[in-house]
Formats: sequence, structure tokens, C-alpha cells
Amino acid sequence: MVESDATAAAIEDAWPIRLDGDIVAARQHARQLAAQLGFSSSDQVLIATAISEIARNIIQYAGHGAVSFRVVSQGRRRGLLIVARDEGPGIADLTQALQDGYSTSKGLGLGLPGAHRLMDEFDIASDVGRGTTVKMTKWAP
Amino acid sequence: MAVPLLKQGDLLIATIQNALTDAELSQMQDELMHQVRAVRARGVIIDVTALDVIDSYAVRMIRATAYMLKLRGAQTIIVGLQPDVAFAMVQLGLHLEGVETALDLEEGLASLRHRRPVDASHG
Amino acid sequence: MVTHTLRTATSELMEQMEITSQEIERRKAFLEFGADDRTALQEIDELAEQYADEVIDDFYRHLLRFEDARAFFRDPHVLEYVKRRQREYFLGLTHGEYDLRYATERLAIGAAHERIGLPMKLYLGMYSFYLRAVATRLFAALADEPERARATFLSLMKLTFLDMGLAIDTYIEQRERTIHEQQEAIRELSTPVLQLRERLLILPIVGVIDPQRARQLTEQLLHAIRANRAKVVVIDVTGVPVVDTVVANHLVQTVEASRLMGATAIITGLSAEIARTLVTLGVDLSKMDTMGDLQEGIAAAERLLGYEVVRRGAPAGGEG
Repeated sequence: MVESDATAAAIEDAWPIRLDGDIVAARQHARQLAAQLGFSSSDQVLIATAISEIARNIIQYAGHGAVSFRVVSQGRRRGLLIVARDEGPGIADLTQALQDGYSTSKGLGLGLPGAHRLMDEFDIASDVGRGTTVKMTKWAP
Repeated sequence: MAVPLLKQGDLLIATIQNALTDAELSQMQDELMHQVRAVRARGVIIDVTALDVIDSYAVRMIRATAYMLKLRGAQTIIVGLQPDVAFAMVQLGLHLEGVETALDLEEGLASLRHRRPVDASHG
Repeated sequence: MVTHTLRTATSELMEQMEITSQEIERRKAFLEFGADDRTALQEIDELAEQYADEVIDDFYRHLLRFEDARAFFRDPHVLEYVKRRQREYFLGLTHGEYDLRYATERLAIGAAHERIGLPMKLYLGMYSFYLRAVATRLFAALADEPERARATFLSLMKLTFLDMGLAIDTYIEQRERTIHEQQEAIRELSTPVLQLRERLLILPIVGVIDPQRARQLTEQLLHAIRANRAKVVVIDVTGVPVVDTVVANHLVQTVEASRLMGATAIITGLSAEIARTLVTLGVDLSKMDTMGDLQEGIAAAERLLGYEVVRRGAPAGGEG
């Protein structure tokens, strides 16, 4: 029986991101979670790829940070909430960073617009000198 | 060696087994550059069948590798991209622009077999 | 064990419908159902016990007079079961606990009726019967307390509306589930990838392409490329009513993804005019091979694969 309005349930786990091996670990874990939630194989790859991009940003611009995962639910559906946090230099111009550039050679390689497109919900907060937090959710079919 | 290289005639085949770290990708690049010269290979096939994620970093590395190998006179073909990975790549706007692709090893070999060696001066 | 199964299914249903304690409170607030109402109803609990059986029997007797209702209760076990549940329900109206648990019971009963296919009009008709049956007995029993009778009846009415709201929402939820499943099935059926020749696939698209469908199309095509080892795919959009920039971008992505798998994609069915419009709107068609019609596209594909189609002699029964 549903006892409260809480939309978050169960699992939250944080994965440190410092070495590129950590990127692989985090995204493989995400893939497992996604599989459990019933995401299609194709969606699993999308999620893993988005995480790879975001995690790489962390290493490249902040040196280290963490990616955490949480299973969330909203009525009929369940989803995967991914939070990527770092205490790096922050992004000065968020609008520009989120601009779509379809070619990797053009973009700053931040991977944000791409990840943004892949996810159902996307939120980014950044303070110059303090760090960046990216929250993204994808709902299972 | 993270990525084993196979020689077949004047072609080199690099089969990526699983997710590679940046260092391993770099190592593969170095090894290919070295071997292409050593065996005078005119073609290189990089098999990515086992990769379940190709992100922007991997794309940049592959493109750079293909470009550098071309300067050494070898044509690179990427084979084995999984449907889901190909889909994720275009969704993310990751293009392997300027890099030739083929369905699998067989197709890649067939494609290279009937070709004239790359003229390196046209880089 | 039937009861247990119903309960679990109901919990899932409630979760999906987002029926929580807070939601129940919200609904009660909207109906202005408060502590006074609760007290008023609790006070006629004993009275309700007295005429429960009578009302239930009367109700089903009434219901079974109607041909279209009878059909749902031919099985005597079904009838017994629903009568029992209805009696519980009836008594629940005056027990005084109108919380999440109460709502769960309501939903379970609603679901039970929906499951046997009872139409909403009949189910709602039941509430009408109750209110009338109760009003009569209530006013009779409290003849010397007309104000209290009136107030109690209004409390009962508010509660009944709370229940009806839940019951109707249950029906709607079940319907939506069915629609959802059917949509999935339709999507599956409507995107066939056909192998025309060895290494050549055709994907004729008919109908509107929304983002979800576009995605499914692309995925199916990519998997088919691998399964059939296709080198050329012809995607025909003649049957797509609107090819706007969104659709065009999906096509561009599909072409690019196909290329990554070593296959060339040819788009057919895009008139020169539409192609021009798309280019003007900023869609990059440079990477797309487009042909006016399917026939041309297939011919081009065959040439690419090294096929040459030659007719031998005159067609059967033809001009000669």
C-alpha cells in the first residue's frame, strides 16, 4: 500500500569519478540498473553513453567528482535519476554550454547538449569557482 | 597489449575486446602507427563489435587514429558498430565523419581487398 | 486467496493512480467532507447494520430485472461474491474510517466489477439506488429528528461522491492501460522492414511519424541491417503525410546511423519540392541520397549492389 507521497524509493549509490576507469564502472553500473528497470537495450546504451559524457566532463574540467544513481517513481512509471556532482571551476556560460552543436569537432566536447537530448528530464546548476551539479532522469517505458 | 593486432597480408586487424581506458586507446593508436610502418600495411580494420558505448572521446580518438594512419599510407575501416551504439551516437550527434565504416570484419576485408593503396601525399 | 490477489493488484493500481493518504485528504477537502460528517455517519452505523441485508437484496433484485445487467451475473458464485462485497461496502459507509484503507476497499470493489465487465452506467446506477434506499429508511428512522436526518443524508451523499470518484478513476485507469497496450501492438505491426534482395532492405513508412515511432523505425532498421547484412536500405516516405523538419531530421539521423553500420540509405518519396523546402529550413540533406519514387530508389540500390535487371522477351499476355 502506498503510504506517502514520496517519489524517491530505495537505492541511492554514489560512484567516485577520478580516473577514466571510473567512467566505465559508473556507466556499467547504470546499465545494470537500467536493465533492472526494464529499459530496452537501446535505452540502456543511451543512458550509459550519456553518463560517459557527463563523467568525462567531470574529469576533464574538475579533476574529480561523483555520479550517483537513484530509482524514482511517479505514479505508473519508474525511472532512473542520475546526479553528477563536482566541485570544479563551474561553467560560466550555461546557455552556450547547452547549445546544440551536432559535430564533435565544433563543440567544446562538454557532451551536455547530447546528454540533454537523450534524457527525459535534465537540470544543471553551476557556480563559477564552486562546482557543477547535473541531474538527469529517464523514465522507463 | 590491450588490443591484439592481427596481420593478414598487407592488412592489419585490431579487435577491441571490451571497454578500453583512455590509456589503452592511446596505446592501441601508438601500436597501430608502429605496426603499419613495420609491416607496410595498406589497410587497417578496427573491430568495435565488443564496444557497448562509444562516447565523444572514443570518437575523437578513432578519427584521429584514422587520420594519422592515412598519413602513413593506410586506409582505416571501422567495423562492427552495434545497432544500439550507432543509434546512441547519432542521437548524441557523434559523427565518425571522414571515417569509413563497414558492417563487420568480412565486409571490411572485402572492401579493402580490391583497393589501390592509399596515396599518402593526398593526406 | 481471491481476496488476497485482488488486494495486491489494487495496491499496484493505487500506486499507478497516485492514490495516497494525501490524495484522499485532498478529495475529502474538495467535497467538504470533515469531522462532522464522519460523526454523523458513525452515529447511524447501528441503523445501517439493521437494514444492510434488506437494501442489498433489494438492490440486486432490481438489477437482475434488467436484461443487460443479468448477463453479468449468470454465474451464481459471481453473484454471491459481489453481494458479499457490496454488503461489506455498504457497512463501510458508516464505520467512520475514511482513510487510505477505506479507499483501497472501494477500489478493490470497483476493480472487481470492472473485471467482470460491468458497464459504468450500471455501476453508477447502483449508487443512485443506495442513496434512495438509505434516504427512505433514514428519514423514517429519524422522523422526529428531521434536521439530523437531513444533515446525515448530506454527509452520506458527500461520501458517496468520494466513492464514485474513486470508482470512475479505476475504470479510467484500466481503460488507459488497455489503450497503452494496444498502441504498442499497433506500433509493432506498422513498421515492417522487408528484405527485397540479398543485402537490400526496404522500409516503407506509412502514416504519421511521431518521435517515438521514428525511434522505433530507426532501431528496427539498424537491427535488420545487422541481421540481414544489408549494404543498401531504401526508406520510402511516400506514405508519410507530413515531412517536416522534425521528420527530416529523424531521417538524416537514420541515414547516418545506417552508414555507421556500413549501409547506404536511399530515401525515396520525397518530392523535389519538399526537399527544397527542407533545405531552406536548414535541414542538411547533403548526406542523404534522395530519389523521387520507390522504383527509382530500388533501381539505384540494385545498381549499387551490382545487380542489373533485364527483361527477357515480351511480358506475359502483353503488347509483344
